[in-house]
Amino acid sequence: MNEISSTAPPEEATDEPLSIKLSIARQLSDRPQIVLIAVLVALIVVTAIIEPNYLSLAGLRNSAFFAVPIGVLAAGQTILMLTAGIDLSIAMIATASAYIAANQSPNGAAIAIILGLLFGIVAGTANGIGVGIFRVNPLIMTLATSGILLGLFTGWATTIFAGSTRMHDFIITLGRGTFLDGNVPWSVVVWIGVSIFVLLLLRRTGYGRNLYALGDNPIAARLSGTRAWQVLVVAYAISGLLGAVAGLLMGGRIGAADLQLAGFLLLPSVAAAVIGGTSIFGGVGTYTGTILGALILGVLQSLLTFLGAGQAVQQVLYGTIVVGLSWMYSRLAAAS
Amino acid sequence: MTAANPTVEARPLSGRSWRRWTQRHGWTVGIWILLVVLVVWYSTLIPRFGGFQFSTIINGGTAWIFLAAAQAVVVIAGGLDLGVGGLLVLTSATAAQFMDGQPFAISIVLAVVILIGAAILNGFVGWIVTVSRVPDIVVTLGSLFIYQGLALMMLPKVGGGSSDGFRWLFTGSATGIGTNPWPAIVMITVPIAVAARWMGRTPSGLSLYAVGSDETAAFLSGVNAARVKIVSYAVGGAFVAMAGFSTLAIAGVGNATTEGSSLTLNSVAAIVLGGVLFTGGVGSLIAVVPAALILFFFNPILSALGVNPNQAQVIQGILIVFVMMVASLIEWRRRRRS
Repeated sequence: MNEISSTAPPEEATDEPLSIKLSIARQLSDRPQIVLIAVLVALIVVTAIIEPNYLSLAGLRNSAFFAVPIGVLAAGQTILMLTAGIDLSIAMIATASAYIAANQSPNGAAIAIILGLLFGIVAGTANGIGVGIFRVNPLIMTLATSGILLGLFTGWATTIFAGSTRMHDFIITLGRGTFLDGNVPWSVVVWIGVSIFVLLLLRRTGYGRNLYALGDNPIAARLSGTRAWQVLVVAYAISGLLGAVAGLLMGGRIGAADLQLAGFLLLPSVAAAVIGGTSIFGGVGTYTGTILGALILGVLQSLLTFLGAGQAVQQVLYGTIVVGLSWMYSRLAAAS
Repeated sequence: MTAANPTVEARPLSGRSWRRWTQRHGWTVGIWILLVVLVVWYSTLIPRFGGFQFSTIINGGTAWIFLAAAQAVVVIAGGLDLGVGGLLVLTSATAAQFMDGQPFAISIVLAVVILIGAAILNGFVGWIVTVSRVPDIVVTLGSLFIYQGLALMMLPKVGGGSSDGFRWLFTGSATGIGTNPWPAIVMITVPIAVAARWMGRTPSGLSLYAVGSDETAAFLSGVNAARVKIVSYAVGGAFVAMAGFSTLAIAGVGNATTEGSSLTLNSVAAIVLGGVLFTGGVGSLIAVVPAALILFFFNPILSALGVNPNQAQVIQGILIVFVMMVASLIEWRRRRRS
């Protein structure tokens, strides 16, 4: 990549193929979504070749069921990674919110959902206070929150939550129900709602611009009047809220709250944001990319299931894809 | 860093140098004192404190110490390795697979081979970090997955084993439970002391600090920054292999289904408590050892106090946050004053 960037400019006028190659690389780095869509389509095609039945609404539905919770969790990761943060507690917040919602389910769906989401906001705000006001490293802060919640809910699971882990029917419908002859899951509708909210937040609001500014250059952001701690507390609260949404969807899909509900989604949620081109150092990234990242992971899951790949192969492939795609990104960024 | 301030060097006033000494070594001394206080306190909490309790703490803490040391070496050189937990599972699963039923001598040869293999493998991860310029946290997130998958391929079911002598080396008994802490103490002290001396006294070791505190400055003053980073990951990999061996020696069998990510989290928490800064270039293995032991030691203390393990986890989390808040407030005040 160094070679191209250092030797290319003088040759650009004379060497036709190289300049075309360069302009393609520039195009791709300007619109990384093109690469992602290509990868996604390629994965779908490969999956369809291996299992022709996959190219039906029912086949794609299974991928969607896997992609939705990752996509919602990755929305939180995207928002925080824009500020150069990360939320390692988001999966545990999801699990905890599911417990709260299940516990409150006898009181009706509305109360269960509201209290579940409220818990997510409170836990996220705690993260935000630690990171934004006390300047604790986000990795440590959210790790500790995750540990605290795990301890609390492991204890409570056998005491105050014992026997009250069944989700309200409405939440179960949201989690695993479908409409249009059972072809479109309700959870996809929830994800679309979340996506519109996050996309508008990042693109159309001053707050969204503050997130980018803070991650890109915190000093410049401060000097131009951004109050970093307020932006951060709100960002972590939103991440907690999104964690809770994912927790309710997962709880609804399983039908009950469970300590192992969402933990396995933590690393995929980070991976989806990274695959989508969001920089872990802040300031760079879009939720569109993250959505594509989540979809890629969803299709990949179906592909690996059809291949009959065991968990071992899945994990190795998963890791390779995360490293490979992000390597490709940095090459593209360097070439432009 | 403050150590380079020429006015401090030129006027060795006793007050100044005392302040400088506490600034440089205060955290290390403090964390050791905390460990001793905790051990003494623990010995008064339980009815009988003898060789058995002592060796249980040392043996159980061995893996934590090596894992934290691995993380510390990488972070001091300016990186971060989320893959350590996965590599621990992989090394212990590999060792369990091949050492099962072998005599002592063969198991030692295998251990050396696996240790070198782990160093090369993790060095390769470090190479990817330097060549690809992808953030280390992303690359090692990938390596965490890959290691965990490879471990499952290596040992699909809980099983395998090691030789009696191998287990004695890390636990002081052939069954993994005993009253003799000395083999474990030697196994910890020798590698850590060698590594600490290497990092603190030799040019190649000090270049880890140089690259960690300012990669560009280190490069401009003639340090091969890329090679130093790769070396830090390789040394980390070797330490992780030691942690994997200790885990196998205690359990007696390998288990590839252990969740590597939570082990990684322990190592991160331990280096934070040990005073290693995420920005790189600051920290010491000598302070990381007691920090890892304290974190491991927390559960026995709290259970001796009658706190159940779940509450213990809550208290541990709150304590880590509290320590971090205090540390970052001190840092913030110091920066405002200067």
